[in-house]
Amino acid sequence: MSEPQKQYVITLSDHISIQHDPKDTVLESLEKQNIDIHYHCREGFCGACRSKLLEGEVDYTTDPLAFIDDDEFLPCCTKPVGDIKIKIEQ
Amino acid sequence: MKYTTFNPKRTNPLVEPMFFGNPVNVARYDQQKHPIFEKLIEKQISFFWRPEEVDVSKDRVDFQSLSESEKHIFISNLKYQTLLDSVQGRSPNIAFLPILSLPELETWTETWSFFETIHSRSYTHILRNLFADPSPIFDDIVANEHIKKRAGDISKYYDDLIFLTQLWQTQGEGVHTIDGVAYTVTMRELKKKLFLCMNSVNALEAIRFYVSFACTFAFAERELMEGNSKIIRLIARDENLHLTSTQHILNLWIKGKDDPEMAEIAEELKDEAKAIFMLAVDQEKEWASYLFEQGSMIGLNKDILCQYVEYIANHRMSAIGMGQPFDISTNPLPWMNNYLNSDNVQVAPQESEISSYLVGQIDSEVNADDFGDFDL
Ligand code: FES
Ligand SMILES: [Fe+2]
Ligand SMILES: [Fe+2]
Repeated sequence: MSEPQKQYVITLSDHISIQHDPKDTVLESLEKQNIDIHYHCREGFCGACRSKLLEGEVDYTTDPLAFIDDDEFLPCCTKPVGDIKIKIEQ
Repeated sequence: MKYTTFNPKRTNPLVEPMFFGNPVNVARYDQQKHPIFEKLIEKQISFFWRPEEVDVSKDRVDFQSLSESEKHIFISNLKYQTLLDSVQGRSPNIAFLPILSLPELETWTETWSFFETIHSRSYTHILRNLFADPSPIFDDIVANEHIKKRAGDISKYYDDLIFLTQLWQTQGEGVHTIDGVAYTVTMRELKKKLFLCMNSVNALEAIRFYVSFACTFAFAERELMEGNSKIIRLIARDENLHLTSTQHILNLWIKGKDDPEMAEIAEELKDEAKAIFMLAVDQEKEWASYLFEQGSMIGLNKDILCQYVEYIANHRMSAIGMGQPFDISTNPLPWMNNYLNSDNVQVAPQESEISSYLVGQIDSEVNADDFGDFDL
């Protein structure tokens, strides 16, 4: 069994910072803080949640099928692996 | 180059371009040049559903209670969707299969088209439930000016590509005169037609369904026409996947990760491609005006629908390097998200039933030749 996972900080481009709960995806973390973010499928195939990953790294919880550019990521199926800075669409 | 259903030449599909290389010979999926298409096939097949498994019988009562303007909105949208899926159920096969060079992309195309035929079948399922004779509805699809106008723009790019491909495959490159019109067939010209066609398909999958999706889900928000809404949710899930596939194809070209000539063409035809998308946006807005010309429906009006089209267009255009041309940054219909998510990982506030459970659900109005008098 792995150690209880560390809590990381998700910072939005407009300087709002939230704590990430290791159980949640980035999308779920944002929703829990009532930060609206566009989504459809919530499983990585539609691209509706496509956002910019400005700093840091994320791990995918499922193999993402949606098209994402090099500086982008899918909040619906990722967890941070360190503090991250992102820019989302609402 | 003449088309062959089994190219006897030994080819290496790992180095072929997506289109206009050697025709595919062996249908093998153990290795892929572009693994994304294999993954899309698997995902799409995992979504398999049958319209008959969704109970639409209660919609008949709801439909009778709708106002005349709401009936107009509901039926017009079904007509338009029927048109779109009629085109999509055949065109990717006819236009793309003869010029494809990768087994995974060939099978993706066939899988994609097959699901469009499921969508078409679901419209018959819905309409048969609402009308003793759905013929007048189907007949109007080829008579209605508002639908015909869109049909022309949607089929045009497919038809151009198909025709030039036929000339090329029967006569080869050169200038060919057919019925007094001279056509110049070169590989460059074929690839240009393909690029424009793919952009037109991408725009179709990206935005052309969303006005009618919004209307459907606005009815569902009022607990009306919920059988229809369940079907449309399943369709929307498939459409999201189709859109992903065209975005991948376009980006593989644009980013020079496939045929280098297609990267040049993408640059050369950038403005034309964008114009195709913008025209689709305009047409969807016009469609919204047509829908509401006899009166509005609760929860939706023309302006908010047009904003939603722009919002969706911004997102989808930026995915293929077209930027975000519209000045709108927040979703004007946030509740749409709840209907457009897939079930497995959702926290759906509105929906009590999960659509994957519907597979296997027994119709509450069972025909004798269906499942017998089995009851839930
Ligand atoms: S919501 Fe579909 S990819 Fe994230
Ligand atoms: Fe479809
Ligand atoms: Fe589609």
